[in-house]
Amino acid sequence: MRVVIGEDEALLRHGLQLVLEGGGFEVVAAAGDAVELESAVSLHLPELVVTDIRMPPSHSDEGLRAALRLRSKYPETAVVVLSQHMQRRYANELLSSSNGKVGYLLKQRIADVDTFLGQLRDVAAGGMALDPDVVALMVARAKRSNGAIRELTPRQQEVLALMAEGSSNSRIAAELFLSEKAVVQHTSRIYDSLNLPLDGESHRRVLAVMHYLSDN
Amino acid sequence: MAQKVPRLKLAKSLDRSLIVIFVAVISLAAMGWALLPIAGPMGHVMMLFPVVTVVYLLAGLRAWHRRPGNRLGPLILFGGFAVFLSGMGNTDIPVFVAASTIGATLILAVIVHMLHAFPSGRLQGRISKFTVLAAYLNSLLLQAPGYLFRADGDVPFLAIADSPPMVALAQWLQEWVGAGVMMATAFVLIRRLVQADKDQRRVLAPLFAYGAFAAIFVPLGTQVLSPLLDMSVETNAMLQLIVIGGIPLAFGHGILRGGFAKTGELEELGSWLGASGGARSALAAALVRALGDPSATLSFWVPRHEVFVNDDGSPAPLVEPGTNRGQVEIVLGSRTVGAIAYDATLIEEPALVRAAGQVVAIAVDRERLTVELRESHGALQRSRQRLVDAADRERRRIARDLHDGLQMQLVLLALEAQQLAKSAGSDSGTIDRATHLRQGLDAAAAELRQLVHAVMPAALIERGLAAAAEDLADRMPIPTTLELEITDGSCASAVEHAAYFVLAEALSNALKHSQATQIQVRLHVEEGWLRLEVRDDGKGGADLHVGTGLRGIGDRVDVLGGLFDLASAPGEGTRIKVDLPCA
Repeated sequence: MRVVIGEDEALLRHGLQLVLEGGGFEVVAAAGDAVELESAVSLHLPELVVTDIRMPPSHSDEGLRAALRLRSKYPETAVVVLSQHMQRRYANELLSSSNGKVGYLLKQRIADVDTFLGQLRDVAAGGMALDPDVVALMVARAKRSNGAIRELTPRQQEVLALMAEGSSNSRIAAELFLSEKAVVQHTSRIYDSLNLPLDGESHRRVLAVMHYLSDN
Repeated sequence: MAQKVPRLKLAKSLDRSLIVIFVAVISLAAMGWALLPIAGPMGHVMMLFPVVTVVYLLAGLRAWHRRPGNRLGPLILFGGFAVFLSGMGNTDIPVFVAASTIGATLILAVIVHMLHAFPSGRLQGRISKFTVLAAYLNSLLLQAPGYLFRADGDVPFLAIADSPPMVALAQWLQEWVGAGVMMATAFVLIRRLVQADKDQRRVLAPLFAYGAFAAIFVPLGTQVLSPLLDMSVETNAMLQLIVIGGIPLAFGHGILRGGFAKTGELEELGSWLGASGGARSALAAALVRALGDPSATLSFWVPRHEVFVNDDGSPAPLVEPGTNRGQVEIVLGSRTVGAIAYDATLIEEPALVRAAGQVVAIAVDRERLTVELRESHGALQRSRQRLVDAADRERRRIARDLHDGLQMQLVLLALEAQQLAKSAGSDSGTIDRATHLRQGLDAAAAELRQLVHAVMPAALIERGLAAAAEDLADRMPIPTTLELEITDGSCASAVEHAAYFVLAEALSNALKHSQATQIQVRLHVEEGWLRLEVRDDGKGGADLHVGTGLRGIGDRVDVLGGLFDLASAPGEGTRIKVDLPCA
């Protein structure tokens, strides 16, 4: 799979490249700022872009803005945005602008290489990946103001968070040491109590959950 | 100023003298009306003489009354006398005819005098003095041969010989000297217009234009205009009188717009000081009144920094020598306590300003202490601002260093630990320890994220106040509603940062002390003010003087010139309101 990287720190750019290449990705370009990133993408038309949010020249959110532009310009290219810090606003901007094929992860997650590469592959295949940090933030926030979520059992709340992160039923099962059947039971109960529309597609499931969390 | 200034003894004495003059001149005008041949063929012209005399009288008395120290008032009155004199030549009483013949062109010299003496009433510079002297000599001395050497004139009893060549020579001389006087006058006036500033020019230009027009029209009207326009003698005489009658009106208008707009004298200034105690800025206003110079300013000496400052403590502008501004220092004993800057074209004599300075010296000295305090308060305020700015800059730097340095290092280290766990040849003990190491590094990174967030949140740097406030509310463990009506970047970033840290402090206070179950935050921009309100339903009783949190908020708000309001009655929750000026 062909990837373009956007990261201004040379060491990290190199480290990221090694991780990706070790996982069988083909890194076709590694950009040091957002402008370079966008031109590299238009040149190589990769299947995946992995980019930092804060990059030169203003060290603000240009990586995110570039990601949003790339998603709308090249719908076939999946984009995973990395950051040192999670923000609900950024997650919403990314999700609402895309129909799948986006991810928003803490940089620190790179080190858990297998999980990280798995999430990249999921996103490139049309799924979504949200960092547990930002999902936890949103679940906690929704719980404070929303009775329906508070009434879920702790286990159901765990399942809900993993659904929001973009995990498939099988991955949720592996993560929580449950059978897939048990996961399906949990999810359908969550659907019932939160009145979510049923949908098999994983990215639509993420959207529905996130939409629910954002609205409440 | 609404305050009524009492008229002093000396001024009252002047008022009485002016009443006497008024009665005397009105009597003269009435006598003229009675003696002039008003029923005759030139009756309309004759009527104008007493009327114009009264116009001069009123304008002159008004100026004299409002400005006792200025000589323009008496000069206008003198002009009225000259008009009266020239009119009396038309009576059939020999002594009046003789006086009128002698002073026939006196009014022209007076007009020239007024033009040169405006607005201070004093002649400024040698050219002016010489020109006005020449004008008077021309009108009185060179007029003389006209009646001394003409046996068949209006006043044959004044003639000492009959010599037409002498008469012709004198007339020729008078015309040329008159032309010289007008050219010198034009030169002086144009030079003054060029040197005047914009406001002064608005008053001076029409006045000078009208005066010069009158001084040329009156003597030339008979010889040039009448034949040219085929005017009757009567029309010409009426026009001349109307133009002359306009002179005191023009000068009266000029002095009302310009330096004469204010009344008052030094004695009044003194009595005013005694009455009011010399409150701030009222002192400067009183000085303006006394000097009759609207542009006069008062500044105070701050010995510590060796500068003059305005009454708000800001540095006073320097008065450059060679400009239209003059400055006189106010000295008390041997100390300089302040300075008065004034319009040097309006006030010729620095002595007047110096005298005014002496009168107010003690009040200025007393006020100086207040101003000095204000100045040092301003300096303190600026220094606090610098400290807060420096602290914010430092926060930013630390956050950036942590972000670019330590956070990245932790990612790389965790990556390395992971590589170690996966590398071929690792035994299960090594794998476990490496994985454990990576998880430890992740935990450290999470802690570091919180630290960076507390120092300077990424959202504030990347997006601004709205995103950062949202981020804060998201991380609150109790329900926190956020009402946002701001767009990022609508206020200066220093203000947004201050508002953010105020909000963070207020929320952390509420969490720690209030036992609140709910917090409401409202943040909006309104008419250039960033308004923040944080309300909780806790136990209230927050005290500004206990703990550093609320005091820190007060300090930050203070530095930016904002308002801080705390309402925290026991049992009624706490409400913090902060308004910061956006710019």
